[in-house]
Amino acid sequence: MMENAWLIPLFPLLSFLILLLFGKRLKEASSYVGILLTLASLVYSILVLFERFSEPTFITKFDWLTIGDMHLTAGFEVNQLNALMLFIVSLVSFLVHTYSKGYMQGDERFPVFYAYLGLFTFAMLGLVISPNLLQTYIFWELVGVGSFLLIGFYFYKDEAKAAAKKAFIMTRIGDVGLFIGMILLFWETKSFEYSEIFAAVDAGAVSGTMITLTAILIFIGAVGKSGQFPLHTWLPDAMEGPTPVSALIHAATMVAAGVYLVAALFPLFAASKTALLTIAVIGAFTAIFAASIGLVQTDIKRVLAYSTVSQLGYMMLALGSAGYVAGVFHLMTHAFFKALLFLAAGSVIHAVHTQNIEEMGGLWKKLKLTGPLFLIGTLAISGVPGLSGFFSKDEILVAAWEGGHPILFLLALAAAFMTAFYMFRLFFMVFTGEARGNQQHVHESPANMTYPMILLGVLAIVAGYVNTPWFGTFLGDWLVDGNKALEHHGHAEGSPLIMIAATVVSLAGIYLAYLMYSKRSLKRNWLSGTGDTLHTILTNKYYVDEFYQMTVVAFTKGFSYFLRFIDVFLVGGLVKGVTGIVQGLGAAGSRLQSGQVQTYGAVAFIGLAVLVVIFALTGGYLR
Amino acid sequence: MTFSGEFLAFMGIALVAIIGGVLLLNLTKVVHMVVSLIFTFVAIAGLYVLLSAEFVAAVQILIYSGAITIIMLFGIMLTKHNDEHEPKTGKWRKILVFLGVLGFAAAVYLGIYNFNIEQVPTTLHENNTMQIGKALYSKYIIPFELTSVLLLVALVGSIILAKNEKKEADDQ
Amino acid sequence: MSSVPASAFLALALILFCIGLYGALTKRNTVIVLISIELMLNAVNINLVTFSKYGMAPSITGQIFALFAISVAAAEAAVGLAVLISLYRARKTVNIDEMDTLKN
Repeated sequence: MMENAWLIPLFPLLSFLILLLFGKRLKEASSYVGILLTLASLVYSILVLFERFSEPTFITKFDWLTIGDMHLTAGFEVNQLNALMLFIVSLVSFLVHTYSKGYMQGDERFPVFYAYLGLFTFAMLGLVISPNLLQTYIFWELVGVGSFLLIGFYFYKDEAKAAAKKAFIMTRIGDVGLFIGMILLFWETKSFEYSEIFAAVDAGAVSGTMITLTAILIFIGAVGKSGQFPLHTWLPDAMEGPTPVSALIHAATMVAAGVYLVAALFPLFAASKTALLTIAVIGAFTAIFAASIGLVQTDIKRVLAYSTVSQLGYMMLALGSAGYVAGVFHLMTHAFFKALLFLAAGSVIHAVHTQNIEEMGGLWKKLKLTGPLFLIGTLAISGVPGLSGFFSKDEILVAAWEGGHPILFLLALAAAFMTAFYMFRLFFMVFTGEARGNQQHVHESPANMTYPMILLGVLAIVAGYVNTPWFGTFLGDWLVDGNKALEHHGHAEGSPLIMIAATVVSLAGIYLAYLMYSKRSLKRNWLSGTGDTLHTILTNKYYVDEFYQMTVVAFTKGFSYFLRFIDVFLVGGLVKGVTGIVQGLGAAGSRLQSGQVQTYGAVAFIGLAVLVVIFALTGGYLR
Repeated sequence: MTFSGEFLAFMGIALVAIIGGVLLLNLTKVVHMVVSLIFTFVAIAGLYVLLSAEFVAAVQILIYSGAITIIMLFGIMLTKHNDEHEPKTGKWRKILVFLGVLGFAAAVYLGIYNFNIEQVPTTLHENNTMQIGKALYSKYIIPFELTSVLLLVALVGSIILAKNEKKEADDQ
Repeated sequence: MSSVPASAFLALALILFCIGLYGALTKRNTVIVLISIELMLNAVNINLVTFSKYGMAPSITGQIFALFAISVAAAEAAVGLAVLISLYRARKTVNIDEMDTLKN
């Protein structure tokens, strides 16, 4: 089974190619092509996952490029992390494919949408089975292309165009770091292979400084892809894409790619305390930073987007605190409940045709299925005991505590409070109270949209039980099994106090939201109190975009003006000069062609005279 | 250098030839130019005498000073000459051509001014015409006859060229 | 034996040739251009006759060649003038700078 795992990414690629070639003819039927082929991927992924439970890691590769002594290889690898990621990605992708059939109904570029989904899924699946950095990088960029196409799907909207460009460029900034780190690693270890890199790091063949440097550079790539501070601004803007795309890109796949990369290269990061600390600090900061912005956003998808950024910060914090299992575990649970939330949000948007939560309200009775499902997702992400988010969050908090960073632990706890608060703020504003907007034609979404959500709802509840302090830590044991470098980073037993603290915090957040938005016993602006400064700052997302606009963008613009100046005046001048000379010569030549024999004779004779003079002066030949 | 009679004669003839040429360039009226050139042609005939080529000198006077000059004068008379309007060619071309000619002359002069070819006594001046006649009718008989053909062709050609156009002009 | 060196004759021929050349390239009147060409041919004839007398093997051949050149020049002058007159009939001008049909 595993030796043919390379087929898994090829199904979506096949879907992409078929829809590219015959999409126009298939029209709405193209959704079946996409759904069936991703279903094939999903089935195969599940089979591979189950086989991996009992079999050892399978890896195969062949020489792709041979330059002198260098052998660049290509191939695929099925280890625990890869098998898990294959399952998550293909599952979410399959569900999104199914969901989109209802959501994108009637869009005239329906087949194109499915083609893009296929391309993106192919790239993501290819990314998670790559056995070496080079191959990873290739698929990494392909994922970027796929996300660019999907985010900019509504390319006739200026915001979508700008968002797609922004996503592409900002992740590219991170990719530069990744690329440099990758090349440095190759320089040091003479290999792109994960296994050989880890072996070299383990054997001490790479100096400590170099490990730190490369690790941080690669982490910069992950920062870009996973929307960590300071490269997070593309992610909320990417909400301009269709909602299923948001679910696919921002829940399970592209943003998780950064976390996956750090997890896949974890032995490298683990070899450098500085690198780990950097990751943990950035993760914790991003978690609280994004959560605080999420408190005041009024766009349903933007709240979810900031929540995604915040949760990704959590995962980074976990990995940075040496909690390998915690990070991957949260990656998995987050994929389920965030995909659920996005799809439910899409269902809400589908019903009321607005994204502004100020115009929603009282939808609980009208959306009989979406409401409870959204509540499940909200409860899961808030960390209410019993749901998946609770266990993974607890695992992260334990890792942060054990990792020896009390401040980071406190930050994470605060972020958990905020998460619970803003998620329930969202829930109460959308589903309870009175209808505030125009809601005449509200109706529940069709079955092909609700079934994926139900499946995800179930997973959002039960997925946590694969790794709990109560019923055994199956996932954690399995993930680190047979991997020497990870043995010390498996599941950590924490004090029950941490669990209690986490529960209290999240319940407190929910209660506060209840008071403010449902019961309204607290005024909505009591926190901002006298001045609206804090509120304004949060609403404007800490002015990060404006800051970039004023510094980086302004600098780049200035620099490009300078380059433009060079281009127009220096290069253009040169070109104009050259053409001018040629034109002048041509004009002179054509003036010479006056048709007058005498002139021709004069020119010919002058030429002869010059030759003769030269001949006389030099004595026959030029010296 | 001795000022022998021969040398003085050469200097005089050369002077006349060059003056004739310079006048050709500088006079304004076309007829005057042609007349000034007659001096040059006659002077060249004088040179031929100095070079012991009496027959060629005679031919020179007959053909050039006589026939060709007269033909040219006829040509001038048959065409209108109004040099009033501005010439299209500028001063620059004249200067360039002048410089080119000057350079050419200097370069060639470099080659001839130290040219000291050996002299041996000759008998060209004795019965010059007879020598030419013998050579023409023996060794050079074929080129000689070909020349007569050439002259015939030139004669017929000129007449046809001039006549045909006249017919067309009449038709118009 | 002559007291005038060969280079003197050659130099005179050169001067006349250059005058003829300059005239041929700058004069506007076609008749004058033709005459200038005659002058150049004459300069060449001087060279031919000079070398028939000077040098290691003086011979009558140079003079004969001069004669041939004169007859060819006469033929050329006649044909040239005929062309000139027919051209004049067609274009009503003898100015060489107005004869630019070669351009088209």
